Amino acid sequence: MHSLIQQLINRLPLDFRILCRQFLLRVIDLEALSIQADVVGFLGQFAGVLIMLSIVHATVSYVGFASISESEARQAFCLHMEHYLIATMMLVVGLFTVLSWDTTFPDRRDVMVLSPLPVAPHTILFAKVTASASVLGLAILTLNCASGVVVPFLVGVEHGTSWGFYQCLPAYWLTITAASAFLYCLVLTIQGLTALLFPRRIFLRLSAFLQLAAFGLFLGVYFLQPSLTTPAEMATAQNHWILEWSPSYWFFGLFNQMNGTLLPQLSWLAYRAWIGIGAALSGAVACLLLCYMRTMKKTIEEPDLVPGAHGLHWMPSFGDSLQTAIALFCIRSLTRSRQHRVAFAFYLAMVFAMALTWLQSELSTATPSALPTDFLMSTFIMMTFAVFGLRSVSALPISLTANWVLRTTQLRAPQQYISATRLSLLLFSVLPSWFISAALSLPFKPSRNVVAHLVLLALLGWILAEISLIGFYKVPFTCSYLPGKSNIQLVFWAFFLVCLPLAASIASIEHDVRNHPFKLANMAFLFGAVAYGLFVFNRSRARSAILYFEELPEEVITTLGLSV
Amino acid sequence: MLELRRVSKRFSGIAAVDDVSFSAQSGEVTGYLGPNGSGKSTTMKMITGLIEMSAGQILYEGKPIQEDLIAYKRRMGYVPEEPYLYTHLSGAEYLTMVAQLRNLPARQSMGRIDGMLRLFSLFDDRHASISGYSKGMRQKILLTAALMHNPQLILLDEPFSGLDVASSLVLRSLIQELAARGKVVLFSSHELDTVERICSRVVILHHGKLVADDSIERLRSLMELPTLEKIFSQLAVEQDTELMARQIADLIHA
Repeated sequence: MHSLIQQLINRLPLDFRILCRQFLLRVIDLEALSIQADVVGFLGQFAGVLIMLSIVHATVSYVGFASISESEARQAFCLHMEHYLIATMMLVVGLFTVLSWDTTFPDRRDVMVLSPLPVAPHTILFAKVTASASVLGLAILTLNCASGVVVPFLVGVEHGTSWGFYQCLPAYWLTITAASAFLYCLVLTIQGLTALLFPRRIFLRLSAFLQLAAFGLFLGVYFLQPSLTTPAEMATAQNHWILEWSPSYWFFGLFNQMNGTLLPQLSWLAYRAWIGIGAALSGAVACLLLCYMRTMKKTIEEPDLVPGAHGLHWMPSFGDSLQTAIALFCIRSLTRSRQHRVAFAFYLAMVFAMALTWLQSELSTATPSALPTDFLMSTFIMMTFAVFGLRSVSALPISLTANWVLRTTQLRAPQQYISATRLSLLLFSVLPSWFISAALSLPFKPSRNVVAHLVLLALLGWILAEISLIGFYKVPFTCSYLPGKSNIQLVFWAFFLVCLPLAASIASIEHDVRNHPFKLANMAFLFGAVAYGLFVFNRSRARSAILYFEELPEEVITTLGLSV
Repeated sequence: MLELRRVSKRFSGIAAVDDVSFSAQSGEVTGYLGPNGSGKSTTMKMITGLIEMSAGQILYEGKPIQEDLIAYKRRMGYVPEEPYLYTHLSGAEYLTMVAQLRNLPARQSMGRIDGMLRLFSLFDDRHASISGYSKGMRQKILLTAALMHNPQLILLDEPFSGLDVASSLVLRSLIQELAARGKVVLFSSHELDTVERICSRVVILHHGKLVADDSIERLRSLMELPTLEKIFSQLAVEQDTELMARQIADLIHA
């Protein structure tokens, strides 16, 4: 089998194979990873997380299904799982499109390097599409490797026919593939239209906003769209708009159409799915072809220098000159570097997803209530994500080669740099997260409990910031960090096994003592003491610390591994 | 005065700079020459404190620079060989950041930054992202960053790289002017004509070793050669350049 695949690959043109291999390694946004990063290891770790999720989905589906005895409830459970898996797949594909933003289109580097070579534009196009499709295919396979068998089996059993499973299995995989292709092609179409309609320099700016907007949209839709679990719910007039505007329900309809269980009154959902995938596919093909034919030359012809924005160039002060320099460097790196923006957006997305979920539940309840434990826990988790998110993103270097300037201008003691880093961490992670929580807690009563919670939250933010600073004797965004080295799976499980239970315990304790001012004060005092203790510990260690900037790793020559 | 005493640097046992000693006096421009890979930039990086020496001593005003590195850095301005900058910042933002890191008073630094950007014809593009700057524009940003704090010791590693003719002429005069005002200028370049015009003395490095350290006049008379180019060719160029050119043309069947 392996030799057959090898023979088939060898039949492909050599230039296509070489380009495809290169693009495959760069399918994650070129700016999103350091060029020295272990891309294969990085993708492998994500694949591992997706496989784990698939196993969790399969287990939950099987256990949930087996525990329900009533036929109607089992049917509702199956419908819920079907929609949930389709929506989750679409979310993963959406996140993949955000990560690999613009990589399918010709970029300036490709054009500059490949244009002088005898490589046809369509070879570049096919190589890029193949590379993206390969990673997308891998995501589909890994996320559904277990659930893609168990759920069709359960749906088949629910149908009560021996052929149910054999009908459901291909229907499931076809639906999942179609839903993924639809979303991916839709994003390509939007990117392509923007590239075709606007001058390149405007496109580049617009593209960055589109990337963040897409990110927010995918997460917002996933977390906020209501779950309709029974055919009756779906058929009601008041839910019609949800089905009409939610592509995950269209593909849910498609799956049920293919397995033969779709209600006639919902057949329009499947129809929408077919129309959607047809439109997205043709849109993507047209845009890609036009982009490769028209914009490749335009990419070279357009000037590099984008005039700076006119008007006010306000430079706020964040303390002394060093604190201001580092805080401004942090915020500019976060907002202007796609690599950091996307990475931080992943963490912020969790914060906003929780905030949106609470906002949604608050909008649906008219009367103000006491602070619930879930809310307390959510705000603690939001704070954790914001602080650790910024801490991990600030470990990604923005330009290792440019660090010389910080080293030749290092005129102050390391503890002053660490103090400036602390300030940046508090300003750009603790403060925004605290403000969001404060805004969300406004409807809750009584006010003294809200104030007490916000005090505890601020102290927790301080504790987390101090924990983040332990051993971090670097200027943010200047350290040598190569993605692919860290163990994503370890972080993933550490969050579920440590952070979640810890946040739940703190929330539970706060909830229990909320009406006992003395106990609440004790809790705040304990938090304050821990935060201050960590602050003193970090400050004393910073006195003897040496600020360090790591160098680029030794250059290695990447072999293509292709034989002529 | 800047003085290097028996300075060596080894990378994995291989000597990049081997037992180099020379000095650069205030009020004169010292040219630091050598073919690619001879150890010029490594020496520059050791002088700036970016990399540590394997052996030897670097002294400034008679004191080892490691004794008070911060005070030394305050008095030093450095233009590196490659124009590596934080390209997500604009020119003005980058220079302001450098001024803040150097703890220069805001008003003074703003005046100097604006003035130098105007003189370098970069003022109109100061708010554009450095990622869009040409090599010459980046070089001007590096020069501004290196000079705005009025350093006493100026280290210039290939400062003419990417500059247009007019800017090169300005820089050439600027280097001489700064030396005339008592600065120590150590200047590395491959442009031998420029070096011959502005340097009072040259230090030539070959395979990490010092092969010449004298005034250009004395080298000319000692070696009985008319130009610095001829002196350099004799001391540091091993290949027969014309033969090599012919071999390349033959190889591609030109």
